[in-house]
Amino acid sequence: MSDGARRRRREVTRTAYLFLAPGLALFVLFRVYPLLEGLRLSFTNARLGRPAVAFVGLDNYARLLADTRFHVSLVNTAFYTVASTIPILVLPLLLALALNRGALRTVLRSVFFFPFTLSVVTVGLAWLWLLDPVIGPFNYYLRTLGVPTRSWLADPQTAMWAIILTTVWWVTGYYLVVYLAGLQDVPRDLYEAAALDGAGGWRSFWAITLPLLRPVLLFVVVTHVIGSFQLFGQVFVLTGGGPGDATRTVVQHLFEAAFQNFFQFGAASAMAWVLFAVILVFSVVQFRLLRGHTEY
Amino acid sequence: MKKVSRREVLAGAALAGVAAAVPGVARRAAAQSKASISYWNGLTGADGKVMDELLDRFTKETGIKVEQQRLPWADLYAKLQVSVPAGEGPDLALIHTVEVPHFASDGILESIDDAALSAAGMRGEDYLPATWQGGIYQGKRYSLPLDVPQHILYLNVKAMKDAGLVGADGRPRVPGSRDELVTMAKRIAKGDTFGFAIGTVGPGRYTWGFHNLLWQNGANIFAPDLKRAGVTDPAALEVAEFWAALEAQHKIAPPANANCRDAFTAGRLGMWIAGSWNFTGLRDAKVDFTAAPVPRLFKQPVVWSMPHQYSFPKPKAADRARRESAWAHVRWMTDHVAEWTLKAGQVSASRKSHTDPRITGDPVLRTLLAQAPNWQVGQPTPRWVAAENVTRPVIESIYTGQRPAKAGMEELARQINALPD
Repeated sequence: MSDGARRRRREVTRTAYLFLAPGLALFVLFRVYPLLEGLRLSFTNARLGRPAVAFVGLDNYARLLADTRFHVSLVNTAFYTVASTIPILVLPLLLALALNRGALRTVLRSVFFFPFTLSVVTVGLAWLWLLDPVIGPFNYYLRTLGVPTRSWLADPQTAMWAIILTTVWWVTGYYLVVYLAGLQDVPRDLYEAAALDGAGGWRSFWAITLPLLRPVLLFVVVTHVIGSFQLFGQVFVLTGGGPGDATRTVVQHLFEAAFQNFFQFGAASAMAWVLFAVILVFSVVQFRLLRGHTEY
Repeated sequence: MKKVSRREVLAGAALAGVAAAVPGVARRAAAQSKASISYWNGLTGADGKVMDELLDRFTKETGIKVEQQRLPWADLYAKLQVSVPAGEGPDLALIHTVEVPHFASDGILESIDDAALSAAGMRGEDYLPATWQGGIYQGKRYSLPLDVPQHILYLNVKAMKDAGLVGADGRPRVPGSRDELVTMAKRIAKGDTFGFAIGTVGPGRYTWGFHNLLWQNGANIFAPDLKRAGVTDPAALEVAEFWAALEAQHKIAPPANANCRDAFTAGRLGMWIAGSWNFTGLRDAKVDFTAAPVPRLFKQPVVWSMPHQYSFPKPKAADRARRESAWAHVRWMTDHVAEWTLKAGQVSASRKSHTDPRITGDPVLRTLLAQAPNWQVGQPTPRWVAAENVTRPVIESIYTGQRPAKAGMEELARQINALPD
């Protein structure tokens, strides 16, 4: 490379960094710094409002090993993640396939997307009322049909499933739009060629649609799994983690340690870092499994 | 006729302007001489509107402006804990009695000495003892009581009538014991109508109701030394057994997460022990109900209460004028507490309004006042609120039958004992 070319490249690089600088500065200030500060706090006994902070080494992490409620919350979070991922992966995809063509496509897409425009609190309160065991319409219609009712959110057997149902209702529209965007990118001529070769709809779906949607599937799975591990709002509004600890999640446990029980920022930071590590491992595994061949 | 020069016209206009402005200037000067205050509270219900009205009147009468911030209690406490050490706290905050010990021990609240009290004309004998005492932690006063949210027994006339539980006068019968309550509740409970519940929303995890029963049986969350949990005491276990039997065995209470207020309003709940803050809403909703003192279900007729307290969060730097204004508001509210009681439905901690005929003439307020000798509040330890937070899921697991009562109480004791100091 000549000196001139090298100089030009350096100038381009410098200019690029100059443009990136404001964004990078904000990223470092509001993302990297709090992250590292959280890591530092996790090795201390920091409690908000108490100036004396002592280094406690790995004590906060060791306490998590003995904290049975933290273990319960990890298991609940993992269960929710696995159980909700399947409907989140399948239901919007089926709807997207159905809505990919047709006159009412735009209207129906808006209808399905509407719940996602609501805040988690609004969704939670609406479902809290729908599922109310005494005055809720859900049980009312079941009673009318002669079907036995139950207290969906107060029964440890059904509470987490009710939260999953609420979440699926809430986010299906969002993933539907993502899938539809992916479907638009599948070249039409592939289907035409497949049809000429005698492939039916089912065969085309398995051989063309699904493989070409792999990047979209990866996006849906990774974002949903990360979001699932951070589940908080729905649980906070619908069950408060109950009945007992049946729907208690890691973020709720963390929130209570940080903001309700003595503002234990040190202990809560340790929980956050454990959660971060779990999400990181899951994300890496998913990337490995789903990355595969995405070019056709 | 004498000609008026331009200069004279201008001078006259200026004089007229000054004359017209004088009252306004005077008013503004008076207002400016008194510092405005910031005031945080968690009165997010109907009582918040009443407080707004009273604050407007306070500002009109005294010239002191109040910058009010209202947010849910839990958020308010978190915000106080963060803001006060940063010097961004309010001049005045309304808090619950059980919050006083931990805020005091964390240095969030300023102590109030006797000189300040007497300068403000506040005397212990003017208040009901349980409320006055609630502002003291480790021998120092940190807050002054305003009113007394407490439990009361609501009786739904329709549900009771349907079960044949009304007297000759058409008024619902009041249970006198635990056995009688269960028997009566069983008569009411049918299909989706329930006989008895404690708590507004989520009766399974209603710690204040559980505390009420514990206190009635002479038990408590902490042992008397306030260091170890007291919930494995036989008296506490007896309460936990009753708690476990409410839905599962007796089948008289709604599910753990039910909205009892809505059920009562819809006539699907007969007897309901709940907070005094519900009664104005029930009246607004035109629910046909009567109120009675909380029945004695265990050894003593204790009534759970949690007075609201005025407190002065520590400022970054002392500001005498603002503190004076904050005191002026506390004094003004004490003088106008009868209106607060009548509109917000909370009986005052100060005895001043207790003989007001408008209050004694109201059957519910009269019942609330009559409970005063039986009021009890949470224990004065900084760990009380955290203990309450860990109690919630455990009692819910007992209520729903996830855990036997004894195992639940042992787990609760373990969690309480593990709380940091």
